[in-house]
Amino acid sequence: MTQIELTIDGKAVTVDEGTSVFDAARLHGIPVPVLCHQQNERPIGVCRVCSVDCGERVLQASCVRPAENGMKVETNSDKVKKARRMLIELLMSDHPSPCARQRQSGDCELEMLAAAEGITAPRFAKRISPRGQDNSSLVISVDHEACILCDRCIRGCDEVRHNDVLGRRGKGYNAGIAFDLSQPMGKSSCVSCGECMVSCPTGALTNKSVIQTVLPNGTPVRADELKQLPFFRNVSGTFLDLNGNAVIKRHFKAGDIMCREGEYGSTAFYILEGKVQIFLATPMAHVTTGGGVSGFIQKLTSRLTGSAEKPGTHHSRPTSIQIDAPVDLEYNNPVAELGPGDLFGEMTCMNLYPRSATVRASTDCVMLEMLRNVLDVIQRNKTMRAELELNYRRRALDDHLRTVPLFAGLSREFVESLATKVELVRLSKGDVICRQGEIADAFYLVRIGFVKVTEERTGGDLVLAYLGKGGYFGEIGLLTTRGLRTATVTALDHVELVRIDGKEFHEMLELVPSIKRDLMAVAREREEQNKRHMGAVNAITLDSFLSQGLMESNSLLLIDLDKCTRCDNCVRACADAHDGVTRLIREGLRFDNYLVATSCRQCRDPLCMVGCPVGSIRRRNSLEIVIEDWCVGCGLCARNCPYGNINMHPFEAMVKDLPQGQKAVVSYKATSCDLCSEHAEPSCVYACPHDAAHRVDPNEFFKNYSGAKITELS
Amino acid sequence: MFTALVAFLAALAAYVPYSLTSRPRGGSALGLTYGITGYGIMLFAGLLGARKKVPVWRLGRAQSWMRGHIWFGLLTLPMILFHSGFARGGPLTSLLMLLLCVVFLSGLTGAAIQHFVPGLMKSMVPLETIYEEIPRVREQLRAEADNLVRLCFRHPEGKLEPALVSAPASFPRAASGTEPEEMVEMEAEEREYFRDVYGNMILPFLKNPGRRESVLANTEKAGAFFEALRRRLPASVHGSIDDLENICEEERQLSRQQSLYLWLHGWLLVHVPLSIALIVLGGIHAVEALRY
Repeated sequence: MTQIELTIDGKAVTVDEGTSVFDAARLHGIPVPVLCHQQNERPIGVCRVCSVDCGERVLQASCVRPAENGMKVETNSDKVKKARRMLIELLMSDHPSPCARQRQSGDCELEMLAAAEGITAPRFAKRISPRGQDNSSLVISVDHEACILCDRCIRGCDEVRHNDVLGRRGKGYNAGIAFDLSQPMGKSSCVSCGECMVSCPTGALTNKSVIQTVLPNGTPVRADELKQLPFFRNVSGTFLDLNGNAVIKRHFKAGDIMCREGEYGSTAFYILEGKVQIFLATPMAHVTTGGGVSGFIQKLTSRLTGSAEKPGTHHSRPTSIQIDAPVDLEYNNPVAELGPGDLFGEMTCMNLYPRSATVRASTDCVMLEMLRNVLDVIQRNKTMRAELELNYRRRALDDHLRTVPLFAGLSREFVESLATKVELVRLSKGDVICRQGEIADAFYLVRIGFVKVTEERTGGDLVLAYLGKGGYFGEIGLLTTRGLRTATVTALDHVELVRIDGKEFHEMLELVPSIKRDLMAVAREREEQNKRHMGAVNAITLDSFLSQGLMESNSLLLIDLDKCTRCDNCVRACADAHDGVTRLIREGLRFDNYLVATSCRQCRDPLCMVGCPVGSIRRRNSLEIVIEDWCVGCGLCARNCPYGNINMHPFEAMVKDLPQGQKAVVSYKATSCDLCSEHAEPSCVYACPHDAAHRVDPNEFFKNYSGAKITELS
Repeated sequence: MFTALVAFLAALAAYVPYSLTSRPRGGSALGLTYGITGYGIMLFAGLLGARKKVPVWRLGRAQSWMRGHIWFGLLTLPMILFHSGFARGGPLTSLLMLLLCVVFLSGLTGAAIQHFVPGLMKSMVPLETIYEEIPRVREQLRAEADNLVRLCFRHPEGKLEPALVSAPASFPRAASGTEPEEMVEMEAEEREYFRDVYGNMILPFLKNPGRRESVLANTEKAGAFFEALRRRLPASVHGSIDDLENICEEERQLSRQQSLYLWLHGWLLVHVPLSIALIVLGGIHAVEALRY
């Protein structure tokens, strides 16, 4: 290669032809400050901090100026120093000092340069319009205020990693970096490789470190060790380095318990070696109380009864229980096995829900336990994502589709073919899945997380339903002739959906007419239900009812205080009807002559249903909310109920898998009023001798209430 | 009610010619009919108690049973009077008649009480709680009052005043983990006065809210008492005094609830055992009369 000679700061240097002035100086130990350029990236000369005097009319950005034979370069003349100082001062005037990086590690390149130049307070005014922050990513924090538009992150993303997520947005004063089409980082196609973060010279892109979090009972795994594992092969080493404590390796002996149902956790497990058994340890039964005469004695004698349906109960029991794993548990035998390559605990990890099942090592096991940011990065990785999805399609999709009663009758071949065509969709909290009035183009099945179904109304949205794992939506729009969405569906947390395209959906209906018939019936029922809700909302006029939240209920237990003799027959009847465990407390808020008893209100917006890790609290078609017997007693529904109408009832259970053998412990099951659905009238109302207790449809109550007696209305 | 009225009128219509044409006797065909009907109604009325023991059994709504109990129960007295021909008879029948009258009257009284007292309870006890929970609520109220006063008796360093330490054993003492964050400014003399008032007036009332001689047992007097206390003490403790006044009001309401509850259910202590006695003795009377 041809050699050229030039002089830099009076020093004669020889470099290859094509070498930049910046590199020529650097190769010969002459420092030139720079912000937008780093060695592994293509120089673009946007920051101009590396400007040098090459004896030309204007100063040149040395990173992009090729060295020429005989060139005389001044890197530190007064002219250069003055220009550089001015540039740094201008950049500092638009930089929040100290920025996040300066605060964390004290190495913000811009602030270090400013300090070296002795710049403390810039002479220029700060910008008025803020550029804002973006905290949507779990692993990287974006502070647009600290961005100096050097584009190092963009080149890192596009040229080094070839992810092509980062780019520029806006012009002039409004210019900034952008993810995809200027989406929040967490919602973009960013795979969180961390390259942008390590490229950034300031605190504009910083790591949301989990260094402080130390997972117990395991050995932290080094990044290079993790990179050897197929599961982490495509994850950024930089990211793994920065999150050293977020993944640990744990060894379990056969019989060890890894997690228990109902416990809160924040980690997911990936099985490296061995097999685990995943099951529900809580008995499939309802809590009952027998023999006692007082509440105290009754509590001492709580026991569990078999889960046989009571006569007259007409609801169909699901064949499987949805849990936080790539498999579902069969209702009649709630045990499954997972092996190497399986990941479980995703929902707990991503959404911090209680564990949905107990996991025990069947053989000696080696597991990786990881925090949310790591799992998120893995799930964003295209290769890993494909592997996880393949695993899901292979292991669980078939069962999952069959949990929808409508698909239960489909042939195995058809479901298998459908499984290859469906799309798995991943959404973040607040994402709108479909909007009311849009053209309906797909049917959805909830795989992970919870979605909220709302109808837009004047004065605010009305919540029609919450759907958790196993729930489905989108059929009404596809089946009606208008073909429009009738409601808006929004992700409440990290949500994963199975999306069946409209075309596939209609093909399926053509093949199996019975499904179409059933779906039409469900669609009609849902539409009717929505209309009823609408009617109720339109009828509300009483502000005081709003303040007590009574308008939110479908059914209120009211006690007429002018008639009630406080005999507590209602409470006794409730206890008798529910195996000794009362679901009614004769206490609560008063409205006019009525006591609104502490008993389930069958809310229109049943917050209690959000987050149940095993989906045991659910709504039957007749709207009453029931807690099924596979409740694991985590208590989330009781905490979510704004009216305290769900009780956690204790019972004694034997834990057999403790190191010291078995031990009796107090476990809990949630109980709530089920309106005695097997009877025409709730037992509390039926047993009231004074005509004081009434289950009232508040729609009617609100509409007609004007001092008239409730008996005339109910 | 309509059925009971028709039955009464029919019984009366039969009795008038019967009593005019012959001397009414319990042993006559019509007399026996009255007696059997009356006793049958008593048995039916008594079944209400059994019905309440199985509230979930679908044997008709409890309300229907209660209506039947009341309206048919009213028929028992005329039926038995027609049965006896308004004569007292022997010792057993006299006793039965006495029992019937007491049961009848206690039932009427009870019906009246259960008709009017719930409304009173509603208006007089807005802070009503579950009856069995009253002792526990009272404990909580006392603890709350103690805590309120304790906040007013602190040195700037947060330690209890010596005067407070020498107060009666039940006087509030600092509980670990409940150290107040703010102090109340008061002169030593005012503090002493507040301490005396709380220890000698309020606390005894809270410990024994049923004492009628206490000033605080009366709503008006209590209002005047707390008003005087507010005038005497600085504004910094008025918030605590308001809270103490509310606590005393709640205590009064709980006392009221207890007494109204006793009215609501106390009559049953007479009505139920005497009803059982009436049925048992009535049975003996029936067997004795028919057999001998």
